[in-house]
Amino acid sequence: MVDFIQNTLDGIFIGSSYALLAIGFTLIFGVMRRLNLSYGPSIMLGVFAGTLLYIQLNAGLLVVGLATVVGAVLAGLYVERICFWAVRRGAALASMVSSFAIWMQLEEAVTIVFPDRTYPFPPLADFTLKLGPFWVRGEHLIMFICASLLTILLHLLLYRTRFGLAIRAVSENPTAAKFMGINTGLVVMFAFALASVIGGVAGYLIASTDQQVTPLFGLWATFKGLIAMTLGGMGSIPGAIAGGLLLGVIEAQSVWYLGTEYRDLVAYAVLFAFLVFRPGGLFAQKSAMQSRLAARRV
Amino acid sequence: MDDHLIQVFSNVGMISFIALSAYVLLLTGEISFGQQAFFAISAYASGIATAMWGWAFWPGLVWGAAVAGAAAFLLAWPTLRMRGLYFAIGTLAFAEMVRLIFEIFRYQVEIEGELVGPDGSEGFRGIRYIFESDISATQYMLIIYLLLSAVLAFLFAIERTRLGAIFRMLGEDELLAEMQGVNRTYYKVMATVIAGVIAGIGGALYAHMNTYIEPKIFNVMLGVHSLAYGLIGGLGTAFGPLIGVGLDIGLLESTRIFTGYRMVVFGGLVALLLIFRPRGLLDEAAVHAIKSLWRRFLPAAQTQRSNNRAPD
Amino acid sequence: MAVLEINDIVTAYGKIEALKGVSLSVAEGKITCLLGPNGAGKTTLMMTISGILKPQRGAIRFNGQDLAGKPARTVVGQGVALVPENRLVFPEMTVEENLKAGAYLRRDAGKVPSDIASVYERFPRLQERREQYAGTLSGGEQQMLAISRALMARPKLLLMDEPSLGLAPLIVEDIFRIVRELNNEGTTIFLVEQNAHMALQVAHHFYLIEQGKIVFDGSPDEMEEDEVIKRAYLGSKV
Repeated sequence: MVDFIQNTLDGIFIGSSYALLAIGFTLIFGVMRRLNLSYGPSIMLGVFAGTLLYIQLNAGLLVVGLATVVGAVLAGLYVERICFWAVRRGAALASMVSSFAIWMQLEEAVTIVFPDRTYPFPPLADFTLKLGPFWVRGEHLIMFICASLLTILLHLLLYRTRFGLAIRAVSENPTAAKFMGINTGLVVMFAFALASVIGGVAGYLIASTDQQVTPLFGLWATFKGLIAMTLGGMGSIPGAIAGGLLLGVIEAQSVWYLGTEYRDLVAYAVLFAFLVFRPGGLFAQKSAMQSRLAARRV
Repeated sequence: MDDHLIQVFSNVGMISFIALSAYVLLLTGEISFGQQAFFAISAYASGIATAMWGWAFWPGLVWGAAVAGAAAFLLAWPTLRMRGLYFAIGTLAFAEMVRLIFEIFRYQVEIEGELVGPDGSEGFRGIRYIFESDISATQYMLIIYLLLSAVLAFLFAIERTRLGAIFRMLGEDELLAEMQGVNRTYYKVMATVIAGVIAGIGGALYAHMNTYIEPKIFNVMLGVHSLAYGLIGGLGTAFGPLIGVGLDIGLLESTRIFTGYRMVVFGGLVALLLIFRPRGLLDEAAVHAIKSLWRRFLPAAQTQRSNNRAPD
Repeated sequence: MAVLEINDIVTAYGKIEALKGVSLSVAEGKITCLLGPNGAGKTTLMMTISGILKPQRGAIRFNGQDLAGKPARTVVGQGVALVPENRLVFPEMTVEENLKAGAYLRRDAGKVPSDIASVYERFPRLQERREQYAGTLSGGEQQMLAISRALMARPKLLLMDEPSLGLAPLIVEDIFRIVRELNNEGTTIFLVEQNAHMALQVAHHFYLIEQGKIVFDGSPDEMEEDEVIKRAYLGSKV
């Protein structure tokens, strides 16, 4: 039982970073109704921007973090302009494949500058807490706190500001949003930038927990985010959070009880089962609308 | 032809199978990220048949494709209810499950003092039937293209019959197709199985050409690439995916003109292409234009064509 | 005096022209109604005026400003608000948030709450449901919300695209009562309808559109006298 709870705790901590990735995914999906496969790779670019400053200038945590976020935002906007803004409306498949092409491009661009397999990333904290019979790693705790704070900020932004109202209006009905006088193109761009900020923070937290980065981070982040978003229900932010935490817990439990080689297998099996039996995700009822839209032809 | 060129052509041919497989599903309106699963299943199944059970190459290939088709049949049912993005993610989950199962799948027998068979993430060595039967690389390339032509002929035949029309109709508007009396379940399952068998043929060819396969070859990158090939080449004709594969593997990877930054160039080009041609180089309109040109200059071809039309 | 003047507008979807040179004008302070069958181009015209569709040629003048081909936000900014066909409320936003979205371009944010209050005064049902998701409202309530949302922009010209579509007869009467009320308060209204009977009771001027062309232009009396229109649009009841 102690083991089970310990795994659940670990899973929730790690899952908080998955939740951030899923939130970013869901924001983009919400305003675009299209899949941005390049989401992870653009975060990867940000993480490498951070690493570059760390290796070359021995920059501090804050500078590295800032570089990561700025890099992710710039790459995210590049993706938005080329794969989404420029591609004709109604051509969702073209956008998706285009985002894949840009993924390949970003990944190779990074490996040209960083030819080795892994590079160091500055750690956030190096302490471990003991709470009763349970252990909590410092960087996990910081990760969880940062993710929670960021989620609260995002919630305030979406539900308390005019800009948040515009994002939600575009997500629910872009045509109606235009009738309100909302500049939908601009809102989409800002939503991408916002998703990239969230992704950049997630990338920074994950990289500093791992204390290293690899060009494979892009692939990893895209699929973690995609799975977590689907588990929770596409287009729903509470769903993204729940999906991220669930994925973290599933992974932690399967590593403990079945072994590392079963971690992804179990995660994919749960994902598949969700798609078959509960395609709307954890919050199937609430996001019925989003699910219908997701099921539309891409 | 030199060895390098033969290798390039063989690779283009084999990857074309999986690109065509994704294309068949695209016709019916479904995006699959998971056709590499059938490629993998057949690679393992046919490899096991020839290397471990002592089967000949052709029965092994048929067996591999059949197992892939059966797997596709099983997958078709749970994914029937998934639409749009859900289908894409569902097939992705399935394919990754298949790959991860091969990562832990161990089944080995001793042959001539040597352990042969899949060894989890260590891969599966010694699929040497082609090598031991003295089939040259050129001959094998011809076999690949013979089979590819057969698959293409099959797809073109489908396009000219009611079946092709039904597939495209399902792709355009599923609900409308159903209202026209199309049995959605039947045709969706059929398309999935056809796609699975086509990928399976490619997988068996791949295993026997390389003599060694490992699970990580069949990762999601292979699947997304093959999907992209269809869109790059164009969704108007079965030649589309071949053009996509030819451009990427044939031209860029093999000529090595952009060694080191091939993807920077290719990724950018694809993104640009999709801005101007969101349904690929040979999209439906382009195919239509080519066909009418063809008809204008070759009136004989037209009569030939109408004679060949299926009697329905 | 005409507040909106439309001159020889052509709008096409690909190669198919949905509007083949439409000209009409909307008089200030009046209710002008555009009648026509399904697919005649009514909604296309509304989308073109609102700036969602770009016309191939032609002019749209609103208070002397050319709006043809301008984006929707410019059109709304100039004081033209649309109540879209099928209402298009934001289903997963509350009633009040929908109203706030309607006031998106307003620069006088301080006056928005009092406008919301006056909307609630006009539609007490919306006040009861202010915290409810708009998607949970009935069709009639959604239509009232869509009208209120458009009013939040304080439009000089209100465009209404088939406000009676899919609503029960009693509710349709309610909607038309509101249309008249808004007009009496000074709002110019350009209404697109299929329901000629209801439109006859409120509109001051009629246009009839068929296959992308204006085929009739006249007062309600002239319309009632026209034998062809009578047979096609008013049936035997009149």
